[in-house]
Amino acid sequence: MKELINKKSNSLTIIAGCGRLGASFANTLSDQEENVLVIDRDKDSFRKLSPSFGGLTLAGDATDIDVLHEAQIEKATVVIAVTDNDNTNIMIAQMAKELFKKERVIARLNDPDKECVYYNSGIDTICPVVLSIKEISKLIKTKNVREE
Amino acid sequence: MRKHVLLIGSFNKARSLAQSLIKKKYQVTAINNDYQNCLILAEIDSLTVINGDGTKPFVLEDANAQDADIAIALTPNDDDNLVICELCKKKFNIKKTVALVNDPKKTDFFYKMGVDSVICAVNAITNIIEQQTFLEGIATLLPTGEARISIAEVPISATGPVVGKKLWEINLPKEVIIGCILRGEKSMIPRGDTRVLAGDMLVLISSDKQEIAAIKELTGQI
Repeated sequence: MKELINKKSNSLTIIAGCGRLGASFANTLSDQEENVLVIDRDKDSFRKLSPSFGGLTLAGDATDIDVLHEAQIEKATVVIAVTDNDNTNIMIAQMAKELFKKERVIARLNDPDKECVYYNSGIDTICPVVLSIKEISKLIKTKNVREE
Repeated sequence: MRKHVLLIGSFNKARSLAQSLIKKKYQVTAINNDYQNCLILAEIDSLTVINGDGTKPFVLEDANAQDADIAIALTPNDDDNLVICELCKKKFNIKKTVALVNDPKKTDFFYKMGVDSVICAVNAITNIIEQQTFLEGIATLLPTGEARISIAEVPISATGPVVGKKLWEINLPKEVIIGCILRGEKSMIPRGDTRVLAGDMLVLISSDKQEIAAIKELTGQI
């Protein structure tokens, strides 16, 4: 694999899962001149990355310890698990935390009920449903205020 | 109180485990996300079957996971099994969790995450294959806890030196007994006048280091 091209920053963000969220966030980081590496088991999904994407891609299973080594997870500063499967995200995040002792680990969780497995683990979770509910109620409230 | 066991995922493994556990008087609940499989599982007497995804907390709740003593995660996906065990442990306070794992490299990780018993089917099977290739089909040694005694399965081929002999006619080393003969589907506890037939599988119990001599006597090989 190519050695990491060191840009302005020394940080490396590993994103597991190149779906809509993973790909757009990778594009954003790449635009900000950050080092990014995206892992997805299907290399076709890398087409979602923008043509100007300057990070690295790795086709493989991010729950495989060998793949994580290949992604140079030892050097990573942030690990983000955003595959389309909650259970896969949980496993990737816990591996990054427990096996590789990463400080910053973030995982997406579609099912808020599963959040209890993350208690006291030091892993940050984002839950699109909860976020959407907050946003929607905020919109409704502001609209109500305007109508009044 | 009968112990309550939860089996999550896998049709075939769940079915045979359920049958054997129910026979041993356990209270068993199986969770399977395939409706057709559930219908077949439901034919087993006194097995409770829940149709749904066992990695979802509300499905586990339907299965009364909070009352279970043991949870066994049998799905084909390592991540699902991990999440099942973590949910059972953290949300439902189940004392003992057991997970199947495909990737042998993850065994330690699973233990680290608090799973009580991790079974790597791939490892177990490769071990068996290795053993069988190295003993070249002559015998299978079964591991015993302290390894003071050994248990070996010895198949008897038609050309073996002991075919047709009665047990007392076979010159076995002193500290070896033939504990069981597996003949077709039947298993029998032999006596001195039981005859060994071609195709039998002898289960040999022997004390330290006597098994090789005994296997040699029974098969004429090694």
